[in-house]
Amino acid sequence: MLYIHKTACISPQQTHPEADLNRLMASKNNMLQITEPVYADIPPGVLRRMGKAVRLSVGAALPLLKNGPAPDGIIIGTANGGIEDCIKFLNQIIEYNEGLLTPGNFVQSTSNAPAAQIALITKNKKYNCTHTHRGLAFENALLDAIMQLEENVENSYLVGSVDEISAYNFNIDRLAGCFREAVISNDKLFETPVAGTIAGEGCFMMTVSGKAAGAEARVVALLTIHSTDENLVRNTLEQFLHQTGFSENAPDLLISGENGDSRLQKYYDAAESLFPETASIARFKHLSGEYCTASSFGFWLGTEILRTGKIPGIVLKREGSRRIERILIYNCFRGLQHGMILLESIIHTR
Amino acid sequence: MSRIMITGMGIISAIGNSVAENRDSLKNKRGGISRLEFYPTAYAGKLPCGEIKISSETFREKLFTHPDSAITRTGLLVLHAAEEAVKDSGLTPDQLAFRDTALVGATTVGGMCLTDELFRDAHERNYGSPYTSSYDYASVTLAAQQRFGITGEISTINTACSSSANAILYGARLIKRGYAKRVIVGGADSLAKFTINGFNALNILSSGLCAPFDRNRNGLNLGEGSAFLVLEREEDVKGKKIYAVLSGFGNSNDAYHPSSISPEGEGPYLSMKEALERAKLKADEISYINAHGTGTENNDETESVAMQRLFGTPPPFASTKSFTGHTLGASGAIEAVYSVLGLMHQEIYPSLQFSEPILSTGLIPLHDYRQQAVRHVMSNSFGFGGNCTTLIFSKP
Amino acid sequence: METAELKQRVKEQIIKFLNLTTVKPENIRDEEPLFGEGLGLDSIDSIELIVMLSREYGINIQDPKEGRKVLVNVNTMVDYIEKNRTK
Repeated sequence: MLYIHKTACISPQQTHPEADLNRLMASKNNMLQITEPVYADIPPGVLRRMGKAVRLSVGAALPLLKNGPAPDGIIIGTANGGIEDCIKFLNQIIEYNEGLLTPGNFVQSTSNAPAAQIALITKNKKYNCTHTHRGLAFENALLDAIMQLEENVENSYLVGSVDEISAYNFNIDRLAGCFREAVISNDKLFETPVAGTIAGEGCFMMTVSGKAAGAEARVVALLTIHSTDENLVRNTLEQFLHQTGFSENAPDLLISGENGDSRLQKYYDAAESLFPETASIARFKHLSGEYCTASSFGFWLGTEILRTGKIPGIVLKREGSRRIERILIYNCFRGLQHGMILLESIIHTR
Repeated sequence: MSRIMITGMGIISAIGNSVAENRDSLKNKRGGISRLEFYPTAYAGKLPCGEIKISSETFREKLFTHPDSAITRTGLLVLHAAEEAVKDSGLTPDQLAFRDTALVGATTVGGMCLTDELFRDAHERNYGSPYTSSYDYASVTLAAQQRFGITGEISTINTACSSSANAILYGARLIKRGYAKRVIVGGADSLAKFTINGFNALNILSSGLCAPFDRNRNGLNLGEGSAFLVLEREEDVKGKKIYAVLSGFGNSNDAYHPSSISPEGEGPYLSMKEALERAKLKADEISYINAHGTGTENNDETESVAMQRLFGTPPPFASTKSFTGHTLGASGAIEAVYSVLGLMHQEIYPSLQFSEPILSTGLIPLHDYRQQAVRHVMSNSFGFGGNCTTLIFSKP
Repeated sequence: METAELKQRVKEQIIKFLNLTTVKPENIRDEEPLFGEGLGLDSIDSIELIVMLSREYGINIQDPKEGRKVLVNVNTMVDYIEKNRTK
């Protein structure tokens, strides 16, 4: 069992340091971008070198680790790492024709840079790993922590994810057909589903342990699958719910990664079909935008809802009648990768 | 808790296109680092690399049914090695498609070996190349997912030079914790302007053949390659050939500097110590160490210090990067295969290009092929960002 | 270019190249050590400054030992630039 203690989410919405989801921050040119905070905890000598993904990760993680015991591991999910730094280095290669180049961009672009920098600044010499499996990078980081806590319930971990938009990777994904051709505003994301969605970025960090004391929620189970067959996905999800003892009490809330892309609607419809009318449905991609580790925003939203007992109006798709104690977060990335996470409140069930 | 058995292996590197070919080169001290022939870079005549002398087009023909599939060279290397491993282990198509078969890949370059295409797609307004979804790290693992129809847990790990060692570690954990019954684990990297220029900008590439642990070493040679292993639970492998047991692993972070290891080799020391503890072994029970041994000033000295701290006098050790070059994301898996080969055939492999020991440590790597009793082999991988991973393989 | 002017320019370039956003040129004393103490730069920075010398002044330092002698402080850098610049 994985117990969630402190969380931090830096996103295009007002989620950090406090959450205020009463107002929807608007997208621009089909991108939802973060307004970076002032990083009080990062020494300027170190901050100067960091690309955005590393700044976000360190900025979100340091306050969680201050005043607490050092975690037994730092586990991060990031599909693209410091993609902006990566392309900047690439630009140098081309501009200077493979001549004399500055290494800073290269060193900061490596996908393990966020986890490495957090370890470096906090002098944490324990387990350190970075998962980069596209739409399941966050789920893998989470599973890694779940398994280690099963091995050693006394341990604690910093787990999180980050992915940034850069003009470059937005362009590459745009050429790949990921985004809407016409510019839309995020508040209309679900209005007329067509091919494509809007881009986002975000960083989510949390401290987790094997003990309930001081925690407000826990991850009961997690499962991922690669498939393009929505029936297989539905059956897998149904089995997953059944195996985790939810068949009679289907989760009270489905947090869905629905993103306005018509090509993916069948997967989200399949997931929704498992939930009776008494359960609620919420969605979040109009807040976070779409990116490989966006499911972490849905996860953060789940912890917020369990903490406050309320579903913010801005994310509600369908209101059910039940008190929210158990949440299924389901996300599908580009019609192949599916992640399912079961969250449970422990405040009420203690 | 069930022991983790290795039941299949596949590999391709500058010293061979299969497990057998790689072993033959190691035994006969045939290194594979040479002048670049295929990869188009300004450094072709200046920086020797462990290049696989097969063009990507040839790979595509040998491996491929879909000429349109936008699989990059790194993905092709994955398929080559993973196919050998899967065939070797005798896993059936049904088993591969089961929910309890997992796949863990690793890479540091991913599809960015196509540096020029990436640059164009990053800037191009209207028409993308066929590779717009093939640049990321996951793309190479997804090539294997699609080839084998894997529906179980899948991850791609990138922790720089320790990536595929961590893939093996993570895969073992998936089995130990019951999230899989069998896992295909490994990694790949192909030569890329991105890494050639990145490492060159850090002044750690040698213009000659790398000389791990040598007093006059002056840098590493990059290499390309791929290796995959099949891990299974002990209770499932009756009647199958078992190559070795993955008896221990350790993962630590050096937490000293983004691209160099601490003078006292703290990260390496900790990962080796943890692996021994997990394997319930004493240091003097290790028969041989496949060292990280890149040939850089920093790595070889700090790694030596760490070995001396832990072992006093280390057992025979060598760096096979002197044969293959530093294959980055593939190195952990490639060196795992070499470690297992040593256990299978009761032999240990040398380091090439060594003349004189490092003054401060005096350690001398093995420089000849030797047959001897081998019970436990330690394999080390230490990367940028302080990511240190150690694996221990044992005779079954 | 006058030495004083060059010193000012080099300080601005150090700040720009190394992204030292919280440092102003007037904060960097001419004789202040760049590495270790003083400005506290590290090995990656030294490589970046060597690249800067190449791109801005056409000076190519191949040997890292020579680089260490040149990059002691702003004075030593400016001195070397004045003697060796090709741009």
